[in-house]
Amino acid sequence: MDLDEIDLQIAPSASDPEPQEGTGRRSALRRFGLRAAGTAAAIAAGLAATAEPAEAQAITDTNILNFALNLEYLEAEFYLRAVLGYGLQGSDTTGVGTPGIVTGGSAVPFTSQAIAQYAQVLAVDELTHVRFLKTTLGAAAVAEPTINLSTSFTTLAVAAGLISPGQTFNPFADQISFLLGAFIFEDVGVTAYAGAANLISNPNYIEAAGGILATEAYHAGAIRTLLANIGAGVAANAISNLRATLGGGNDQGLVIPGQAYNFVASDTNALAFRRTTTQVLNIVYGSTTAIGTGGLFFPSGTNGAIR
Amino acid sequence: MAFDDIGIDASLGLGEQASAPGIDRRSTLRALVAGATTTAVAGTAAVGGLTLGSRPAWAQAATDADLFNFALNFEYLGAEYYLRGLTGQGLSASLLTGTGTQGPVIAGGPVPFQSAAIAQYVQRLAVDELAHVQFIRAVLGPAAIAEPAINLSVANWSTLAIAAGLLVPGQTFNPYASDIGFLLGAYVLEDVCVTALAGAARYLTNPNDLAAAAGLLGVEGYQAGGIRTLLANVGAGAATDAISALRARLSGVGDNGTLANGVAYNFVNTDTNALAFRRTPRQVLNIAYGAVNAPAGGFFPSGVNGNIR
Repeated sequence: MDLDEIDLQIAPSASDPEPQEGTGRRSALRRFGLRAAGTAAAIAAGLAATAEPAEAQAITDTNILNFALNLEYLEAEFYLRAVLGYGLQGSDTTGVGTPGIVTGGSAVPFTSQAIAQYAQVLAVDELTHVRFLKTTLGAAAVAEPTINLSTSFTTLAVAAGLISPGQTFNPFADQISFLLGAFIFEDVGVTAYAGAANLISNPNYIEAAGGILATEAYHAGAIRTLLANIGAGVAANAISNLRATLGGGNDQGLVIPGQAYNFVASDTNALAFRRTTTQVLNIVYGSTTAIGTGGLFFPSGTNGAIR
Repeated sequence: MAFDDIGIDASLGLGEQASAPGIDRRSTLRALVAGATTTAVAGTAAVGGLTLGSRPAWAQAATDADLFNFALNFEYLGAEYYLRGLTGQGLSASLLTGTGTQGPVIAGGPVPFQSAAIAQYVQRLAVDELAHVQFIRAVLGPAAIAEPAINLSVANWSTLAIAAGLLVPGQTFNPYASDIGFLLGAYVLEDVCVTALAGAARYLTNPNDLAAAAGLLGVEGYQAGGIRTLLANVGAGAATDAISALRARLSGVGDNGTLANGVAYNFVNTDTNALAFRRTPRQVLNIAYGAVNAPAGGFFPSGVNGNIR
């Protein structure tokens, strides 16, 4: 993709000393700060009324961890290929279910040593998550499913309105495109783990999922910060909007009214969004009607009971 | 504090650090990818170290409300820091009441932000922590603790900076004097909140409470990741490493600065399984109080409120 095609909105850079609208925000914040606690009481009542969704009734911890493993396979392949030019090898890919093939992905020609190092940290973390989950699951771990990193990004970018049909978006073409590719995944990872946390019964797995959730949130916060500082708000917002359309809302753009550096995605209680497994699958399948069949990043579906 | 003292290049933006060009983990990563089986076995040992279903002594009698109240102490602390840094005013009176002893806030701020961008990052942090205070108080209702005494004075920050080896006795660290100083103060707090929530999650019993805690944990992670990125990009790595080392020393749990793990941009704080570190309340309090097993001190001169303290 030529970045010009994506129409990056140039937000003020972090070095911009212009006062901007900081004063207005501060007064707005003061008003917010004076808000009575009564407002929040109603919100909490809404949360307390939340019941376990029907889809969660028969789900086991193994099902949940295997669902997460599919997402970690996807992220690990994306980052490893971006850094090294090749992905997971040998025993890192084996398991129950139908083993797939991974298409696409190539070493990103990083021109910033800094961005290259961010990518390396991401690659190590997601590789480690794959191994941690596979070790935890043991013989029950699913095999790596078929993953599409070749045409999927262009399909997604067209759906998001970033490019027109006939144009291509290749997140491996340059480092900014790479960061946008990472942006697609990280917030989804956060919502998936946050949404699944209370479906897990074994305290050890709750602790592990919490640890991975936080790591994904570190990733997402950093990617958002890097993209905000280079003024990629319009592109990021388009991706966020698409995720919201597919994933039941539960998303927030990088540039929102009064805030050009929205490095956190959260609801009005400042809680990270929680998505159901179906909402997560709808995003990575690129469709709200592909449960059980797959699409986009997982053209043959994920492996495991939740698919 | 002059940032020259701790080796910070104050230029903002995605700077290239002097040490960065020579660092390349790709060869390490290649070896890592090739060594699948070996590493997976190492992971087994780590998982095996967790004991199924057991609750340690501190958690035997801890209810969900106790755990949320413990977290509320730190949301009060964060909200006061960010709100006062941004506006000069802290939480409103209606958000301070509750069980236990309500205490005063010894505060600094506002910060004369030079960068509109950094001011907006801080604005987001302030809004989040204010919302967390409101949310947790609403969840707890009449069981919510009052805001304890909080010390955000330059003297307290200086004590911490001296303990971290960033300064020598007699020097002062004023996080309200500059954008980067304020971000370093945020760095002190955010990773701690992540470890506290990640450590508490497994002891919550109500599924709704666990969902809420996961939401809180996610946001603290976003915040910590963003702050690490901003600090790494301005070359504040040595300062973050020193703060992390202090937290590790006080808590007995690992903690990695932004120069850790062989990169100059270590924007995560995780164990060898790439899981965020988890801390017990006592380990968290050791950091907040600035001393191992102290009854109070540091940011909480009269101790925290609630049953877990």
